[in-house]
Amino acid sequence: MLFNSVQFALFLPIAFLCYWGITQIRPKAQNLFLIGASYLFYAWWDWRFLGLIAFSTVVDYVVGQRIYVHLDDRRRAKAWLMLSVMANLGLLGFFKYYNFFVDSFVDGLQALGYTPESSYTLNIILPVGISFYTFQTLSYSFDIYYRRLKPTTNFVAFAAFVSFFPQLVAGPIERASNLLHQIERSRKFHYTQAADGLKLILWGLFKKLVIADSLAPMVDDIFAHYGTYPSSTLILGVVMFSFQVYGDFSGYSDIAIGTAKLFGIELMSNFRFPHFSRNVAEYWQRWHVSLSTWFRHYVYIPLGGSRVSKRRAVFNIAVVFLVSGLWHGANWTFVFWGGFHALLFIPVFLLKRNRIYMESVIGQNSFLPSVKEIGQVLLTFGLVTFSRIFFRSPTLTDAFGYIQGIFTDVRIAAYTHPVGYRMIDYYVLMLLFVVYEYRIRKNERNPFHFKSPVVRFVLYVLVIFAMLLFYDDGVNRSFIYFQF
Amino acid sequence: MKKFVLKSVVYLGLILLALELLVRAFHLHADDPPKMIDEFGVEKRVPGSKGHYVKGNRRQHFTHFSINGSGFNSYREFEPSEDKYEVALVGDSFIEGFHQDYDNSLGKKIEDRLPKVEVFEYGYTGATMAYQMHLVDAYRDRFDKIDKVILYMKFRNDFDSRKHRADYELVRMLKTLPFRIRENCKLWVYGSNYGMTLPIKNIAGAIWKGLNFIRGRDHGDVAVPEMGVSSVTERIDNFKKLIATYGWHTEKTILLLDSRVTDGRFLDFCDENGIRYLDFSEVFQNAKAPVTLVYDKHWNDYGRELIAEVIADYLQKEVKP
Repeated sequence: MLFNSVQFALFLPIAFLCYWGITQIRPKAQNLFLIGASYLFYAWWDWRFLGLIAFSTVVDYVVGQRIYVHLDDRRRAKAWLMLSVMANLGLLGFFKYYNFFVDSFVDGLQALGYTPESSYTLNIILPVGISFYTFQTLSYSFDIYYRRLKPTTNFVAFAAFVSFFPQLVAGPIERASNLLHQIERSRKFHYTQAADGLKLILWGLFKKLVIADSLAPMVDDIFAHYGTYPSSTLILGVVMFSFQVYGDFSGYSDIAIGTAKLFGIELMSNFRFPHFSRNVAEYWQRWHVSLSTWFRHYVYIPLGGSRVSKRRAVFNIAVVFLVSGLWHGANWTFVFWGGFHALLFIPVFLLKRNRIYMESVIGQNSFLPSVKEIGQVLLTFGLVTFSRIFFRSPTLTDAFGYIQGIFTDVRIAAYTHPVGYRMIDYYVLMLLFVVYEYRIRKNERNPFHFKSPVVRFVLYVLVIFAMLLFYDDGVNRSFIYFQF
Repeated sequence: MKKFVLKSVVYLGLILLALELLVRAFHLHADDPPKMIDEFGVEKRVPGSKGHYVKGNRRQHFTHFSINGSGFNSYREFEPSEDKYEVALVGDSFIEGFHQDYDNSLGKKIEDRLPKVEVFEYGYTGATMAYQMHLVDAYRDRFDKIDKVILYMKFRNDFDSRKHRADYELVRMLKTLPFRIRENCKLWVYGSNYGMTLPIKNIAGAIWKGLNFIRGRDHGDVAVPEMGVSSVTERIDNFKKLIATYGWHTEKTILLLDSRVTDGRFLDFCDENGIRYLDFSEVFQNAKAPVTLVYDKHWNDYGRELIAEVIADYLQKEVKP
């Protein structure tokens, strides 16, 4: 069930009313209801993979208890932790990476002059959300192992934590220490929280339906035929992809956070206007925050983080980015993308500028950004956007072909929409989007933060009106991050 | 909780109202002139209707239509006479031409090339060959005075039936209250045009089907009888039957077609039976620019210019009006 589908538009109000209705009669049934709703939500896509979620739930529930029992015996605790790691990463490895590693191995053999007689790849579907919920359950085991959390004895709450439908298939990847205790407690309805949730859902839908979906046909066209387009079009294509992927994923996250609010649960922010970042380090504090946080806590810090020698710290950073790249997809393009970001991040780290923008946003104390800030933002956006050529291209050959096109066929030519729509509409749309995002840049959780109710109402109407204006029923409405 | 639900419903209502006003203010919706069936069993539009046709959800293609006294979209009234040279252009939406300004139609373009000729455009969306031949037969008094009848055909769509049957049920249904409300809710009309309401309709249909199943009125899927025809022979047989029913004036009537999408066996049948046709495939093939609109497959201004040229050349050479 997609967030942007009519099925979800029917499912959500029904689930919402039943949930709070049940709360009034029997508050303890909240979590049971959430599990039922979440499993239904997931089964709508493919019921066969519900077993994987249940398996992950049972394994980590049991492992969590065992780790806690053996906390004073680090060797045994570690063994139990490894069981959780192997079970979750085993699932992920089989469904997501098996074919990739086999193909890569075969390619390696072929490079050495040996050609295997048969193919060992399997025809398997990647279960939606597996990269997200396996990481989330892993965080539970890790947090217990690192003594940040006590294991829950409430299996129902734990199952609801693992399968909580708003963030089940594409995050935010919540740490157990943030989400589980909210689920263990009984929730009460708060008007402001629910209203804020609806606003976030509306803004998320706008980003998905208007920004991401309307740019998608052009991005697809340009990346599919990059060999025939001049440099100006190729640059336009990857810039549009930057807008698309941001609109798509941050839109999804907003809907997830907003939906969770409707059920009385606060999820962490996943996007904090990353394209207004002044360097790559700030970008990673603002883009897919839940994943960055996960990698920081469970990979970077255990490796030693920055409290080691410079050389070792640089190695740790490189590992995190390469693994993060591989997490996105079983393809060398993602590994390259991760490696490219490591190369961008390491100089910032060595110059000790990786934490300087943690507490501020562009134009922190002024209406407009300074010229310096504009330059920094454009440079960061340019570098991040350039890296997305690897992210979007199906193969490394295509990615390098695309880059070659940018630097060899240097021409400026007007681009025509593949269906023939007016291009000016999209340029104006992107510009207005940037201006509005700048206006709300200090609070990603309240995109309609205006005092006047009239202004807010006008904005709601305009946002929905834009959805009508840019709706295209020919577009694939799935979310990009579902494939991860 | 109650306050939240109540306020959400009020907001939703106000937002829908505001959207309806915006759609109307910017005229984003397409008007659909009401349909009727006259005493001759000919489906057409209610005379005197005027409005706009819109394509592209940001009003990217915007045209005017005007239904004349005969019930067809045209800038002129159809008043055939013995002394003038008149051509009837009969066909479906391509001839009805809501996708073009009514005063820049195919017929007008022919008239611009041949000032002594008057072109009457009998176009009706979805018109098949059965409809077209029925119309010519039903309006025999008028068509007797018309000098040339050009029937626009698409082989794949237009030969599915052997006899025309006016859809009285559809016209009656369109006059019912729910349909009139739907037609007046421009937000819904706009949404329908771009597929936004389709999922809602699908779900409503599924619920309705489920309810009927529970009530015992429906016992699952029922095989839907095949309505269309697939074989070329069957289509040609249908055409023969139509000719037998309505007649065919060999000298006066001519088919307008694109031979690239017309089966060769049909063309052979026409050749063997003295049925003449005007083929515009070559000019479309050699066109220097797209001949259809961006948003659908109707002819654009350039496409109509090319076809007008073909028809005008034919009239000039063959008939010398």
